[in-house]
Amino acid sequence: MSDVSELPSKEANVLKGHEGGVLAARFNSDGNYCLSCGKDRTIRLWNPHRGIHIKTYKSHGREVRDVHVTKDNSKLVSCGGDRQVFYWDVATGRVIRKFRGHGSEVNAVKFNEYASVVVSAGYDQSLRAWDCRSHSTEPIQIIDTFSDSVMSVCLTKTEIIAGSVDGTVRTFDIRIGREISDNLGQPVNCISMSNDDNCILAGCLDSTLRLLDRSTGELLQEYKGHICKSYKLDCCLTNTDAHVAGGSEDGYIYFWDLVDASVLSRFRAHSSVVTSVSYHPTDNCMVSASVDGTIKLVK
Amino acid sequence: MNTDEDDFVFYGTPIQSEEELISRKKKAVAEASGHLRTLPSWKQEVRDEEGRRRFHGAFTGGFSAGYYNTAGSKEGWTPQTFTSSRKNRAEFKQQSMLNFLDEDEKEELEGRYLGTASQFDTFGFTAAEIARKQAEKEQQQRPSAVPGPAPDEIVLPATESIGVKLLLKMGWRHGHSINDSHANSLYKARREARKAFLAFSSDDAKSQPEDSEPGEEDHKRILDHPSVDGFSSSQSTPVYILNPKEDTHGLGYDPYKHAPEFREKKRTRVSGKQGHGNKQALSIKDSLFGLKFTFGPSAGRAAPGFGIGALEEYDAEDEDVYASVYEIEDTYIQEDEEPLRSNTENKPKLIWKEHGVLSGFKVALNSDYQLERFDPPVIPKDFLPHHKFPSPLEFDNKPDAPPEVPPPEDDNLKILIEGVATLVARCGKLFEDLSREKNQSNPLFSFLTGGNGHDYYSRKLWEEQQKRNGQKKIALDGKFSSSVDKMTVESRGKILGEMPLERSSRDLSSSIASVNVNLPFNLSDTFTKPESSSEFPEVAKPFQDDPGKQARFEQFLKEKYQGGIRSTVSSGASNMSEAARARERLDFEAASEVIEKGKFIKENKLHSQQLMGFSAIGGTQLTFGGLQQVKDTQDEDLATKKIYPRREEFQWRPSAILCKRFDLIDPSMGKASLDNNLMLPLHFQSLLYIFRICALFSSMVKGLGLQPPPPPRMRSKMDSLIVTSDLKAMKMEEAFSADRNQPLALQFSPQEVSKDVVDRETEPEVQVENVERPVDLYKAIFSDDSDDEIEASNLNTKEDPEKKVEVVHSTLNRLMAGDFLESLGKELGLEVPPNPPYSANIAGSSRQKESAIPNPGNVNILSVEENSFSIPIAHSVSLKERAANDEKTEKKGESRKDESAKKGESPGPSEDKSDKVHSGKIAREDRKKAKLPPSLHRKRTSTSSEDERSRKRSRRHRHSSSDSYSDSSNDHRDRHHSRSKGRKKRSSREKTSSKKHHKHHKHGSSQ
Repeated sequence: MSDVSELPSKEANVLKGHEGGVLAARFNSDGNYCLSCGKDRTIRLWNPHRGIHIKTYKSHGREVRDVHVTKDNSKLVSCGGDRQVFYWDVATGRVIRKFRGHGSEVNAVKFNEYASVVVSAGYDQSLRAWDCRSHSTEPIQIIDTFSDSVMSVCLTKTEIIAGSVDGTVRTFDIRIGREISDNLGQPVNCISMSNDDNCILAGCLDSTLRLLDRSTGELLQEYKGHICKSYKLDCCLTNTDAHVAGGSEDGYIYFWDLVDASVLSRFRAHSSVVTSVSYHPTDNCMVSASVDGTIKLVK
Repeated sequence: MNTDEDDFVFYGTPIQSEEELISRKKKAVAEASGHLRTLPSWKQEVRDEEGRRRFHGAFTGGFSAGYYNTAGSKEGWTPQTFTSSRKNRAEFKQQSMLNFLDEDEKEELEGRYLGTASQFDTFGFTAAEIARKQAEKEQQQRPSAVPGPAPDEIVLPATESIGVKLLLKMGWRHGHSINDSHANSLYKARREARKAFLAFSSDDAKSQPEDSEPGEEDHKRILDHPSVDGFSSSQSTPVYILNPKEDTHGLGYDPYKHAPEFREKKRTRVSGKQGHGNKQALSIKDSLFGLKFTFGPSAGRAAPGFGIGALEEYDAEDEDVYASVYEIEDTYIQEDEEPLRSNTENKPKLIWKEHGVLSGFKVALNSDYQLERFDPPVIPKDFLPHHKFPSPLEFDNKPDAPPEVPPPEDDNLKILIEGVATLVARCGKLFEDLSREKNQSNPLFSFLTGGNGHDYYSRKLWEEQQKRNGQKKIALDGKFSSSVDKMTVESRGKILGEMPLERSSRDLSSSIASVNVNLPFNLSDTFTKPESSSEFPEVAKPFQDDPGKQARFEQFLKEKYQGGIRSTVSSGASNMSEAARARERLDFEAASEVIEKGKFIKENKLHSQQLMGFSAIGGTQLTFGGLQQVKDTQDEDLATKKIYPRREEFQWRPSAILCKRFDLIDPSMGKASLDNNLMLPLHFQSLLYIFRICALFSSMVKGLGLQPPPPPRMRSKMDSLIVTSDLKAMKMEEAFSADRNQPLALQFSPQEVSKDVVDRETEPEVQVENVERPVDLYKAIFSDDSDDEIEASNLNTKEDPEKKVEVVHSTLNRLMAGDFLESLGKELGLEVPPNPPYSANIAGSSRQKESAIPNPGNVNILSVEENSFSIPIAHSVSLKERAANDEKTEKKGESRKDESAKKGESPGPSEDKSDKVHSGKIAREDRKKAKLPPSLHRKRTSTSSEDERSRKRSRRHRHSSSDSYSDSSNDHRDRHHSRSKGRKKRSSREKTSSKKHHKHHKHGSSQ
């Protein structure tokens, strides 16, 4: 077990710039940069460690709900209230492609391992996979087995995992053509993978984070204490998989011990809802985004 | 001619010399062939054969242009807006008289114009005008005492309608709308004064009513008709008066289009001028919109972000969920909504303004005008929310269900009974009585009065009632909502025409309860779930942390299991919101389901306990009190954990491209699409048959002490699928042949049989046509099979050993000749007395072979053989390989040679036959009867009737026998060819006879 003192608790940098709530903040794959998106319809690229705003990506017609960057940092994908998925070139800031097809707002979006496919999760109860390689703007796959809004999506090399308000976390295994549905009984807000890919952390709307074993679907642990009742809040595991981090609607950030589910630390990071947390892939720091319009780097 | 030339005198320019012409021609040719070709087509010039540019006259464009005299493009000039004049002719101008009139004539005409006739001039505008003019004229004509024009009222013409007169009497004037407003200036002035007064004394507004100002009455009236006041002048006055254009912008220009905050500012400024009331109005409006809107500095604040798409409209979902938290959002929304609102809601706003303008009146903080709400009646504390029927439901009186009765044999009667039962269940006893009365004489309805089928009827009726009751219960539960009513086991069975097995009518709402189908309990069990949570108190407390909720949950459970009316109060505390209640309800459903599942697991262990529990519950209808408040948090935790997560697995088909993009192999690659998957089971079935048959066969072979045949050649999947049915048929033959050979095994080397088997085994490859109805075939085969084996063995025991030898020889020979089926026919003939020729032929097996070949039944085989003679060596080699029996192959070769020799000997019949084989079946049959070769006569000594019969048989089997033979010849095409001739006619018979076919085998084996 890593030490509690290693957990980030100090505010290292505040990134201001978003006019309006920030809905998501994500480290890139090496953790040097951070992307955020928010109500002001922009996506912003930051260097959180130096507190520098690098670039703004504007094109979305509504709020931007999620953003993801490829491993080589060359492409972005974002989605939002305008029902579109935008595929950006990071350097030029131009939209390479717009994927239209979702019937309503798009909640989450992710690249796959090879950045060849974008999978988006929409309020229209569907997952859609978009091809980045071809020029087609039609989805190459539509998964609509969900019975409510799909809130979050995660991709592994072979699977598509998505959490939905219908209470299910569904794993679509492409190798064997199987859909595994784990019903948690509570609306799933956010799912995030453990770094060893063996577990799924699912943030539910009953103010509980649930850790699921992926192979068996077993509920391993529940993390409680924070408030998550009406907003889409992110949760994540730390890079060592030893702790669970999550935001709360009262502006706090919580850290739990992965195994015994005790709250190890909590501190008030923001003045209002912490919408998003993202843990650095290697260092002991994380970014958090809030509706108060700020993004904070916590060390 | 030469002399003539000298006499001529030439005038004018001489014609160009030949050389010149030639050179030019050459040039033209060269150009045409050479550089012209290099020129782009649009640059090329058209030249005639003389090499000159063609001139076709200025009128048509001078020289011919290049490129086919077009405008320089391949298409040339084509009018882009060409419209056919065929259908779309130029507009025909309507002529009027004016077109033909001169100026002065027109002037003349101008004197006449149209006007409203006075009797239709209701409001008398025209008439009034005329009258006024008249009056003026008159006045000018005769000076009167009253100077100036006479007032309108006096001079009004008599055409004024009585209505107008009345209105005028009431104070209405022309040009005003007709309502009872007093929007007159007098009151207005007074009101303004009052407003100013009120502004000072707004705090003691309550004292206002006591104020005895002359305008008091007026205000009251306005209050009574607030809207009328608002619209007082707007009905007939145009908008521009209501909304006067006061700015200097162009018409329709909205300076605040992109800066709505300024509009608001301006409006406040304007309204500020008008008085305090306006502000009030605005605040009312804002409160209506639920916005925290302030006119202060924030109004001018720059909006975050930028414009949204013009066509995008914000709807309810766009309401900012974060609005309460984030301050900026207020203005944000303001900005988005304002343009819309200001455009579309002008009028309402005006009304609001007017509201506020009401001097001295504020919007009441607590108005006495309230939506009247009636509180729900207070439910007495001791009220139990479900109704306990003294006798649970109407048919509960009947203590037991009528016993299960098999339906009557008569299907019609059964249907009738079921129909009547359903109707009676639905319409009540009355219907039964009625129909009984009606159909007293009808014997069909005797079941109503206790006759035939009464038992079944009563059972059916009971079932129906059960079902209906179950439905009622569900309906009362209010569970119906949107979900499709679940198909119960019974209803499904009904649809499928199944007979309920045992007590299937019980499980109406739960599939779980179906586990305890064993014992017929008290009747109440049948429509309430027999288990109750009382048996599992430790599990049934998923809401332990909230006692109230837990209590409600128990209530819920109770209702669920015990039936009865579910009151709304019970499903949630009365103070709960509808949404919370619904959510809770869902929770309960889920929890109860899990509890049931938990039970289901424990079912076996607790079975005996349950039985006791059931009877108790069934009898007394337990109601749960606080007994179950035993707390066991750990168990409870376990219970909730048991609920979720639940794992389910489904088929999912990733698209091929997705797999590709994920760099994975498509799991469904090569598989049929989902639609085709539906077809698959059939194939699987047939495959299964093959396997089973194979297994059967191999076991048989082993049982006979034979070495198993070499594995069949590798076939493509497709082949095996197609061949399936025939394979089966053939396998059966094999089986029979094996049977038949059983006694022979003593004399013959096992290879012999196995070779036979191999031959058969390879056959299926050939028979591509007969794919239909594998299941029937399967049945036919296997139903026969078991019988056959037994019979065969029985018969075999009876046979005397001598005959066996004969038969062995004969069968062998026939097999050798490929005349397997023909031999079957013969064997059938042998069924009666044994054949002397057989015994005669025992020694000369080769001769018999010979004789077998020209057998009439075998004619088409012969023809096939002709074709397949090209590769006899290959055939024999393959045989050798498989059967490892050189001797046999030699024999075969011999037999073939014999055959050919025979053909040479008697070319007449055999050739004829082989020709005619192709010409059709009937002819062949005729010939068969007519021209039996002598060898056959020699061979056949059995009675003619037998012969006839056998021939018929053989005819039937010729098809397959030909196959069996020609298979070994490896020449597929020829086979198909020859076979396709008779196939059409035969195919139907083939199918039907397949069963018989095996029967014959059986008889044959009895030889």
